[in-house]
Amino acid sequence: MAIVSVRDVSKSYMLGKTVVPALRGVTLDIDRGEFLSIAGPSGSGKTTLLNLIGCVDTATSGTVLVGEKDTRRLTERQLTDLRLHTIGFIFQSFNLVQVLSVFQNVEFPLLLQGSLARREREKRVMDLLEAVGIGGYRRHRPSELSGGQRQRVAVARALVTRPALVLADEPTANLDSQTGGTIIDLMKEMNHRDGTTFIFSTHDPKVMSHASAVIRIADGQLVGREELNGTGD
Amino acid sequence: MGSSRDAFRILLRIAFRNLSASRVRTIIIGLIVLTGSLLVVLGTSALASIDQGMRTSVQGSLGGHLQVYNAASPDPLELYGGLRGESVLEPIVDFARVKEVLSKVKNVKMVVPMGIDQAMVATGSVIDIALERLRSDVRRLEAGEEDPVLLESYRAHLSHVRRIVSLLKDDLSHARVIVDLQGREAAERKAEWADLTRAASDEFWDGFDRDRYGALEFLENKIAKLSMENAFTFLRYVGTDVDQFFEAFPLAEIAEGEMIPRGHRGILVGKQYAEEWLKLKNARRLDQIEERRARGKKIARDEDLQRWVKENGSGKKEILLQLDPVKAEEVAALLRRGLKAPEGEDLEALMGRLFDTTDRDFDEKYQLFYEVVAPRIRLYSINVGDLITIKAPSKSGYFSSVNVKVYGFIQFRHVEKSGIAGMMSVLDLMSFRDLYGYMTKDKAEEIAAIKKSAGAKEIERDQAEAELFGEGSASLLGGDTRQTRIDESKILGGPRARAVDLSTRVYSPAEIEHGVALNAALILDDPGRLARTQKDVQRASDEAGLGLKVLDWETASGVVGQFVIMLRIVLFVALFIFFVVALVIINNAMVMATLQRVKEIGTMRAIGAQRRFVLLMLLVETVTVGLVFGLLGAALGGLTVAVVRAAGGIPATSDMLNFLFAGPALFPTLGLGAVVSSLVSVVLVSVLSGFYPALLAMRVTPVEAMATEE
Repeated sequence: MAIVSVRDVSKSYMLGKTVVPALRGVTLDIDRGEFLSIAGPSGSGKTTLLNLIGCVDTATSGTVLVGEKDTRRLTERQLTDLRLHTIGFIFQSFNLVQVLSVFQNVEFPLLLQGSLARREREKRVMDLLEAVGIGGYRRHRPSELSGGQRQRVAVARALVTRPALVLADEPTANLDSQTGGTIIDLMKEMNHRDGTTFIFSTHDPKVMSHASAVIRIADGQLVGREELNGTGD
Repeated sequence: MGSSRDAFRILLRIAFRNLSASRVRTIIIGLIVLTGSLLVVLGTSALASIDQGMRTSVQGSLGGHLQVYNAASPDPLELYGGLRGESVLEPIVDFARVKEVLSKVKNVKMVVPMGIDQAMVATGSVIDIALERLRSDVRRLEAGEEDPVLLESYRAHLSHVRRIVSLLKDDLSHARVIVDLQGREAAERKAEWADLTRAASDEFWDGFDRDRYGALEFLENKIAKLSMENAFTFLRYVGTDVDQFFEAFPLAEIAEGEMIPRGHRGILVGKQYAEEWLKLKNARRLDQIEERRARGKKIARDEDLQRWVKENGSGKKEILLQLDPVKAEEVAALLRRGLKAPEGEDLEALMGRLFDTTDRDFDEKYQLFYEVVAPRIRLYSINVGDLITIKAPSKSGYFSSVNVKVYGFIQFRHVEKSGIAGMMSVLDLMSFRDLYGYMTKDKAEEIAAIKKSAGAKEIERDQAEAELFGEGSASLLGGDTRQTRIDESKILGGPRARAVDLSTRVYSPAEIEHGVALNAALILDDPGRLARTQKDVQRASDEAGLGLKVLDWETASGVVGQFVIMLRIVLFVALFIFFVVALVIINNAMVMATLQRVKEIGTMRAIGAQRRFVLLMLLVETVTVGLVFGLLGAALGGLTVAVVRAAGGIPATSDMLNFLFAGPALFPTLGLGAVVSSLVSVVLVSVLSGFYPALLAMRVTPVEAMATEE
């Protein structure tokens, strides 16, 4: 059963007065539990594809179904709600809220949801912080952490609502290769543990090798999909 | 719902954390807000106190709560005078009727008749007064009295006049130097000088007793006019039912003298007016120096004070003129001792020494003046007990005049020093009517009596020519031509008899009320219902066909009320400009802050924060700053008010301020209104200034979160 279904999607931007096509007729299905990498050179349309799947942007034509919902038919408010409850985000530059502590950053989406009681919420946050290996830094501010540690916080934040789908746009681009490796390992561990679907973009072949499948795009078009064993070797 | 509460909590947390994270910006915005709320508190509390002060001054001194006047008047009623002088008002012809109708209106307690105008008052120059005294002695001597006391008085008065004449000659001999003796008036000047030389000569005085009346007439007709002293001044008065006036205006009090007896004619002269216009100039200047010095000014450093000291030096002649030789000698002896001057120094030099004062010896000399000089001279040109003549152009265009007794000086509590309330004198209503030119019964009778005694015949205007120059005219003109001697006693007897007669006459309330007034002050039982009563009074007047216009006290106070309105406008405009500038600055700072946080806001939106979350978060930031610093500013304002009060208030440096403050200093009061309006305005300004940046933030799309920072 596909959690994401992309049907003949095109997306173009206006750059001044010229129309710049970013995606051209992409069709794609992603199943639950996949650990999928989107690969391609800079400007190939990776980020655009992720934005469409992540409901932060809408397609010029074609349909994007996320959790069987047609994103084009949802209002801005419903899209936001969909993001809050179904999707987790991991950003290239971590994007933590600077004025909040590690704990509060992770707690943030749960507070927006407002569905958990305080004790339950705190337990879930702490468990997750332990799971990503930064339980000891709960009171620190993001600025007091290293890049790798920050990205662990971001991973925890993306997972705290137990989303069906986690999107990561170049999650290792701002990290050295060793730290990047451990972040990918962490993501993969969570993929195994909860069966959460992960889609991440990268142009680093080493990172790519950890994926269960790689989708290649170039010039806004799908070039191919290749299944890997996903061991990283 | 739980979800929105949790979300709101995190929203507050982020907002507060952001405020403390960008401390410099928060403090700058905060200080602007603080200044704004401080200004609002100070401005509104000062204004509220001025408002209260003015209410006290106007309601308590002249205005009452409401004022009525003839609606047909060409000018609006201005109780304290307008910028173009006194208002021209049509009279209320029968005040009694107005009182009858308006007294019945609910909430109206008193109706006080008024007529405000200006008049000329003869104050008499020193030489006139000295001659008047001499003449009364001469009259008694000529009548054959041989009292030794009278003779002594006659000698003293004679030498006083002689002294004045010689001083006058000194004065004019200086003036002669600069007078052009070739000009058009040269002949006149030369004749005057010849007269003066004659009057100052020993032969003139040796021969005085040979023709006392002749000598007196020469002095009165030829010499007195050469004195350049002012012999009259202007006086602003309100003609009213004096008893009712005191009842209606509790701030009025007798500063000196006594109340005008019930139903009598008389005047109470404004105390402050007397100080400024009737007091001997040198004494007045000493008082002013004293007053300024009490406020911390120093002669050594203040140009005004130096000027006054200098003016006193040249003003001493006025005092010398007043002292007859006996008193002059007394004063000289006492001053010589008091000032430790060398033996033989003459009075003029001693006076010079007295008035040439510095900060070191001022208090000593001030005291010396009031102990030695003041009791021996006429300190005020009008004194309690004097019978004065007031003249004013009447309604008919001719000057009318009345003689009234000065029963006392009047002042208004709290605004004693005010040049607005303190300038006002209070005159009885009958005398006002005489001055105003409206025919009273007394006047009508007097005119009838004069006509009868003079044999005047009333003729129609269009027949006047025929009557005067026609056939029968010879007999009309023939009467006086043979008579050459003027009968002094008969001429003097007429008006004098009338003055005495009128000043002792007692008028009944009915007589006072039945007649003309220009306006009336209404005192209410409950001033809180002023607006409603104003409508009721207007309706009652309209129904009874009185043709009155009803004003509230603030409007009726004219230029004074406008001054307060102007103050209010100035304050509000200044605050408005301040807040507009503040709005722009705060808005700018918040826009910058928002632009810096686009990525963070985008991230929140991507993670699942709704637009209204972002909007609220930004608004909370500015409103928090507004509230916190607004409260601080209000508190600081309250503290300032308390400090100003403890330090003795804001001094009233001018008459106008004295009147507005209802006292020598303004004690600002911190009202709840001031605090509330300051908070409301700063919060409003912060919401307004935060709104645009918050809207900008709301429009940030989650895509911004993905943008890579290069």
